[in-house]
Amino acid sequence: MIVLIAIIPLLFVLYNSAQLSIEQWRGLWSQRLPQLLWNTFSLAVLVAGGCFLLGVSSAWLIARRQFTGRTLAIWLMVLPLAIPTYVFAHIYTSLLENDGWLGRIWLYFSNGDTVPELSNVWGVALILSLAGFSYVFLLVRSALMRSNQSLEEVARLQGKSSKGVFFRVTLPLLRPAIAASLALVVLHVLSDFGAVSMLRYQTFTLSIYLQMSGRFDYQAAAGLSLILVLMSISFLILERFFRNRQRYYSSCQSRLVQAKQASRSELLMIWLCLGLISLFSFILPLLWMIVWSWDAWFQGVVDSVFWGYVWNSMVIAFIAATVAVIMSLPVGLYHARKQTLLSHTFLQLSSVGFVLPGPVIALGVMVFALAQLPFLYGSLALLILAIVIRFLPLAIQAQEAAMQQITPSVEQAGRILGAGYWESLWRVILPMIRGGMITAWVLVFIDTLKELPATLLLRPVGFDTLPVRIWIESSEEMLELAAPAALMLVVATFPALWVLMRSEMKKTEI
Amino acid sequence: MRNLILAMAAICSVFLSAYVHSDELVVYSGRSDKFVKPVVKAFTEKTGIKVVLHSAKSTALVNKLRVEKERTQADLFLSNDAGNLQVGSDLGLFQPVSTRVAEVIPENLRADDNSWIGLSARARVLVVNTNAKGLEFVGSVFDLADPRLKNRLAITNSTNGSFIAGTTVYMEKLGKEKTVDWLKGIKKNAGDGVFNKHSKVVKAVASGKKDVGLVNHYYIYRHLAKHPDAPIRIMIPDQGKDGIGVAWNVAGIAISKYTDQKLLAEKFVEFLVSEEGQKLFAEVNQEYPVREGVAASAEIPALSQQKIADVPMSELGKKRNVTIDLLEEVGMY
Repeated sequence: MIVLIAIIPLLFVLYNSAQLSIEQWRGLWSQRLPQLLWNTFSLAVLVAGGCFLLGVSSAWLIARRQFTGRTLAIWLMVLPLAIPTYVFAHIYTSLLENDGWLGRIWLYFSNGDTVPELSNVWGVALILSLAGFSYVFLLVRSALMRSNQSLEEVARLQGKSSKGVFFRVTLPLLRPAIAASLALVVLHVLSDFGAVSMLRYQTFTLSIYLQMSGRFDYQAAAGLSLILVLMSISFLILERFFRNRQRYYSSCQSRLVQAKQASRSELLMIWLCLGLISLFSFILPLLWMIVWSWDAWFQGVVDSVFWGYVWNSMVIAFIAATVAVIMSLPVGLYHARKQTLLSHTFLQLSSVGFVLPGPVIALGVMVFALAQLPFLYGSLALLILAIVIRFLPLAIQAQEAAMQQITPSVEQAGRILGAGYWESLWRVILPMIRGGMITAWVLVFIDTLKELPATLLLRPVGFDTLPVRIWIESSEEMLELAAPAALMLVVATFPALWVLMRSEMKKTEI
Repeated sequence: MRNLILAMAAICSVFLSAYVHSDELVVYSGRSDKFVKPVVKAFTEKTGIKVVLHSAKSTALVNKLRVEKERTQADLFLSNDAGNLQVGSDLGLFQPVSTRVAEVIPENLRADDNSWIGLSARARVLVVNTNAKGLEFVGSVFDLADPRLKNRLAITNSTNGSFIAGTTVYMEKLGKEKTVDWLKGIKKNAGDGVFNKHSKVVKAVASGKKDVGLVNHYYIYRHLAKHPDAPIRIMIPDQGKDGIGVAWNVAGIAISKYTDQKLLAEKFVEFLVSEEGQKLFAEVNQEYPVREGVAASAEIPALSQQKIADVPMSELGKKRNVTIDLLEEVGMY
């Protein structure tokens, strides 16, 4: 049932692309595909690389060293999640103008050389890496905290250097976490709409959107989407294939790694490194928002209507996150327990929401609702449905790591002691995966707060959210009007992140 | 699990109800809220009729209307581009405005069947850096393809609606072949001077990075309002006896075919074409009112000094896909 709902947009794509003639396919193939494939592929690789570098290094530093301000550092690494990619794009474009903050610094040091443009693969990759590395950080850090010290000690005893231990023991053990988080990052790249459309970098998603809205050509758009889906799914299967060859069960008796106290020079190095990362990924954007919001405040832009947008955003995000987590449970549990071909298929099918571009999902849901559920049309419920479809895979992915740790023996023990199916679900499994569920909820909450394409198309008339306002104001080049909305988005994410971090911290204290 | 689903259904049903009251007008708006709100406010004050703005990109809204058909909540569609309005007309999404209301607007600035009518006009002009030398030969948009302008030209990228509309006008006046040559020329001349926003084109010219740019006229005045000393000036191209005239595009409005409030909707249109509405609508964005006898803002070049390309605005929609094909043929995205 849930899987059926999740594949609504896919059916839409299949239906429309089935109407493309061979001739048209050939046209698509020769004219657009090579360039699009190259653009999208190179971007994905660069962003994955960037996120790996930023995420793993920061996670390792924070997980393995005890130092002053560690909690603050964790926060700084997670906070970029609060900033949507299109806001990043928007802010960096204006920072890099000739009279922007960074633009001026650049001109000063480069003797009048022109400021680099962001509308190319490097610029977009930079933006998306800054916006996405926190996923890697989060998952890798929690894996590092959970990892078993004995294994590393054994390696040390066998005479490996600390570098050797990192590359031969720690890193391989981190593989599931790295793979899962990089998959998350790459999927975000493939489906990103905001940043690429602001920077006009032609990826599949942008090209699909332009086909759809510029030329009213749903069939070509569907054809492109189909190719994108096939690409992403084969990527996902590949990722799972590599991950499945190794399964790690953590046993209860493992000793957790103790973080070493950092020496003074190390402290300096750590903060230099983390500070630089967070300067660009959070502090600078935040400063920009505050400065411009300050202006907007005095122009009287922040009025009761504005607070209405804030409220709308919160309501949507809250409901969508809750629904998505509930819906993801059966799919995830089924897979964790059975690991059959069927469960794999279910899992892949429900990831459709992630690999299809947001505009296509929205359109698919819209067409479906108009044909099958006309009474739903124009209501909040439909928007929530679309958002849940979009972020269901995120919810599943975030819980999966936790679910894989449900060692079958624990559940079997529960059953032997007389717990029924529901009781074991309620008293054994849910408590065990609670951490994963909270993570999933928060991630979906945050992503919904930032969600743009589906909200743009499906929001009820007169129902605007913060991202929609940012989009409207910034596409009309009213930069200063977008700032308060962006700032509120960040502020609204705080409590959610706090919940996430608290459960993370608790987990690692035990 | 079943309980959960039931609970979900209960929550959902709360949100089933639509958001808008029946006596409100819903306007799908592709024009910036900032430029629509003043005129809406005046309308509501005058008539007591509430107007709900549902803003997005014009193209996205036409798509939405097209998919929604009779389920749409929109009573009116407002767009900044005649192309989108005409596309909507061709898809049969609109219904004619009564002649009484429409006839105050010149014929070439509305649809043949009055299924949409123009409200304000923008001219496709050149912005020139006043310090730039050797630009004397530039008098026409087509001079922008001259090799002498290599690396001195700034344009927006060709997915921009105004760019497409302008190109359609040139294609109508001079034919496909010449337009393709022109596109190839400006592509070469622009080099790294292709921007995603008009404001950046103006900025590039103001900063001296580029010497000349192709923009809608009001972007120049928007920049000058913020930087009064910027070394830029407007140049209206293709004037004179042999010139094809400057390309125009209009913002306009259409009444949805499926509205159940035709009378109210028409009242709104009537207000927009009234002298008061025209002034409010055009002035906030330094555009030209299209109703004759309503004066434009004093800052922008007077209409009497302009020769305008005589291409009916409806062509901007009818030829839109032809233009996009041309652009792709040249390899401009």
